[in-house]
Amino acid sequence: MTLLVTAAALAIGLLIGLVIGLLKVSQRRIFSVPATSYVEVFRNTPELVQLIWVYYCIPLLFGLPMAATTSCIIALGLNAGGYLGEVFRAGIQAVDKGLIEAGRSLGLSHFQTMRKITLPLALRTMLPPFVNQSIALLKNSSLVSVLGVADLTFQAQVIATNTFRVIEIFTGTAACYFIFLTILSYLARFLEKWLTAYR
Amino acid sequence: MEESKIMVKVERVNKFYKKLHVLRDIDMEVRRGEVTVLIGASGSGKTTLLRCMNHLETINSGRILVDGEPIGCWANEKGVLCKDPERILNRKRSQIGMVFQRFNLFSHLTVLENVMLALTTVKKMQKEEAREIAIQQLKHVGLPDKIDSYPSRLSGGQQQRVAIARSLAMQPKLMLFDEPTSALDPELVGEVLETITNLAKEGMTMIVVTHEMGFARELAHQMLFLHDGVILEQGTPEEILNNPKFERTKAFLGKIL
Repeated sequence: MTLLVTAAALAIGLLIGLVIGLLKVSQRRIFSVPATSYVEVFRNTPELVQLIWVYYCIPLLFGLPMAATTSCIIALGLNAGGYLGEVFRAGIQAVDKGLIEAGRSLGLSHFQTMRKITLPLALRTMLPPFVNQSIALLKNSSLVSVLGVADLTFQAQVIATNTFRVIEIFTGTAACYFIFLTILSYLARFLEKWLTAYR
Repeated sequence: MEESKIMVKVERVNKFYKKLHVLRDIDMEVRRGEVTVLIGASGSGKTTLLRCMNHLETINSGRILVDGEPIGCWANEKGVLCKDPERILNRKRSQIGMVFQRFNLFSHLTVLENVMLALTTVKKMQKEEAREIAIQQLKHVGLPDKIDSYPSRLSGGQQQRVAIARSLAMQPKLMLFDEPTSALDPELVGEVLETITNLAKEGMTMIVVTHEMGFARELAHQMLFLHDGVILEQGTPEEILNNPKFERTKAFLGKIL
């Protein structure tokens, strides 16, 4: 459940992050201002508060009944999108402007340059902070236990309450998270080496 | 048909960068098949003028015509400001090649992919056809065996030659060179100048911003000396290098010759 929630939220966050990042580097304020506001809102409020807010307020505002799991995925996804938006923006702006000029002077359109030159190069720069954010997301997913979603932390609480063996259970839980994240980190390091082989 | 002999016509161009008047009433012409060299101190506007020719920089007044068509933005007969929509600007740019001081090769792509990119993306060519043309151009600049290397593995001179091949693959009518050898170690300058010389001998219309006076003297049909945004001297290399009219020109030449 933990992995499901994390993966789903990450997917949403990636999509939102890409959109936000692209909007933020736009010259037109009509695009960049809402994007900046979005990032500020989701970075300057605690994840737990966002989770609870989405769970209670979305059904109220949109009249859609929503399971705890779904609303948590959405909330975490929106939150990740805010952070990843900044990651995308920084990655895009880190690309050597000379290469972009070379692309434009060959006759590539703005979108073609973005797709074939800027984004592939930006991706290499973005990988470390992206991994950071994924790690944070996995850890924040433990907050969903507060809303009753049956993730790792929730199960741990249940078992601990029934067996009264709090120390053992929670050490084990921490170990589980640690193992997940160590594997993730290794995968990320491998991916980064593969992507920057040309350097 | 006198007009078609002229590849580039710059008419009363002015450019301001914030409050700085970087190009002042520039008038110049480049004839088809000829090499024009722009010289001047840094800040004189020579690079800015070059970059205006494919609209990498905008102009504030006047117009620039490439092969009879105005490029970028200009004022029409009624004085109304016209601007090329992006699609048309991209098409015009694809017919003008540009070589940069810092090469600007796409570091995430191999040499072959660098040269093929514009062919497949802009000209919408099939991969095989693009590959053939790319290999041919790389042979043209003397690098047939580097096609699968990444730019970071090449010397500066090799990278610049790949950049030249990349522009040539699009079969441009005009080539713009922005100090092509300034970022190179001295022993690598020769191979790039040789490539550019061959190109000139094949009849390519070129505008080159450079400090390489030997090259200019040999190949240029026209030389322009810019100072403070104004064309101070204009003529053949012999005229300017041997008989400069202005003190400023003499002072500049004194420093670089």
